[in-house]
Amino acid sequence: MRSLEVYEVFKREREGGPMIHAGNLLAPDPELASHYAREFYGRRQESIRLWIVPRAAIRELDDPDLLQPPFDRSFKKPAGYSTEIKRKLAEARGRVDGRVEGEPEEVEAG
Amino acid sequence: MTAVMAEALDRGTREALAGLLLAMADDEFVLGFWDSEWTGIAPLLEEDVAQSSIAQDEIGHAQALYQLLAEVIGGDADRIAFGREPAAYRHARLLDHARTDWAFSIARRFLYDTADAARLDLLVACAWPPLAGVVAKMRREETYHLLHMHTWLERLASGGDDARGRLAAALERLWPDALTVLAPLPGEELLVAAGILAEPMAAAEQRWLASLRPIFTRLELPFPFIQLEGERLETTLAVPAEPRDGHDGSDSFRWLWGEFTMVYRSDPEAVW
Repeated sequence: MRSLEVYEVFKREREGGPMIHAGNLLAPDPELASHYAREFYGRRQESIRLWIVPRAAIRELDDPDLLQPPFDRSFKKPAGYSTEIKRKLAEARGRVDGRVEGEPEEVEAG
Repeated sequence: MTAVMAEALDRGTREALAGLLLAMADDEFVLGFWDSEWTGIAPLLEEDVAQSSIAQDEIGHAQALYQLLAEVIGGDADRIAFGREPAAYRHARLLDHARTDWAFSIARRFLYDTADAARLDLLVACAWPPLAGVVAKMRREETYHLLHMHTWLERLASGGDDARGRLAAALERLWPDALTVLAPLPGEELLVAAGILAEPMAAAEQRWLASLRPIFTRLELPFPFIQLEGERLETTLAVPAEPRDGHDGSDSFRWLWGEFTMVYRSDPEAVW
């Protein structure tokens, strides 16, 4: 068998669902890649759509300087932000319940 | 076409219907077993899975057809499938050849699948609803089989000298027996009259050959037919006189029969 290429296969399992990575396969040309994708990821009626992509066409990014920078990035995350708000609220409640002197009343009202 | 009930058919038509079902079922059954011989040894893992899955599909088609046959003649589908002696099978002689090499298996399957598609076309509007239903399902699965076989025929024909040479040699050897798939069936005129079969097998055979002609011409593969007056394609090949009988005379088929009936024969009364 002459030059085989790796193809990555993505599948959609139900209408409205996302395309998820199913796996990969080897094939000598794009047409047979489609046939084999059907065999591997569709013959048990587990998919309603497949994407068959030559691995060579995929741009890869795995540089840690770009993806895992060293400083705290929690302020860039929506979850991190809300956690901070929750922490401040809890602190304010604690101060009111504990009759902490000199704290303004409005904090509780918020 | 008004729907017909199998039990309402006259004896001759019922026998012809049983003959048609047995021929189709045995074709799918025997080819399914031949091609499953590739499991584990196909050219690459992916093709191994594909070829095995297609072979399984054919056994599934055979099962559905044996089931219909059991409704017409009574009895049990498994017993019909596994409980006969080699001489009682009615598959086309094309399916008596052993698996041989990859190009041979592709050539045989290409010829069979394309001929079978022409036969299924005659049954799309079948007046017996159970068969029309099974045929509709079979045609959907055959779409993929045909696609896969066309891809492989092209691939081998345009491959190196070795691939191309093996494919051409296989086709030369198979053509006479390929003509047994759509050979006339006993009593088929009764099936046409009853609306079960749209036309005689010969009509399907002409359409089949006409559809293959441009492909074989383009790929410069053996196509031993000449066009006579009109559109009709004729061959000078010696087509076997008994297209679907005498399989006990084939060493290859007797061997395959021994393989696929081995478990059944060990205990025909076993409950699975």
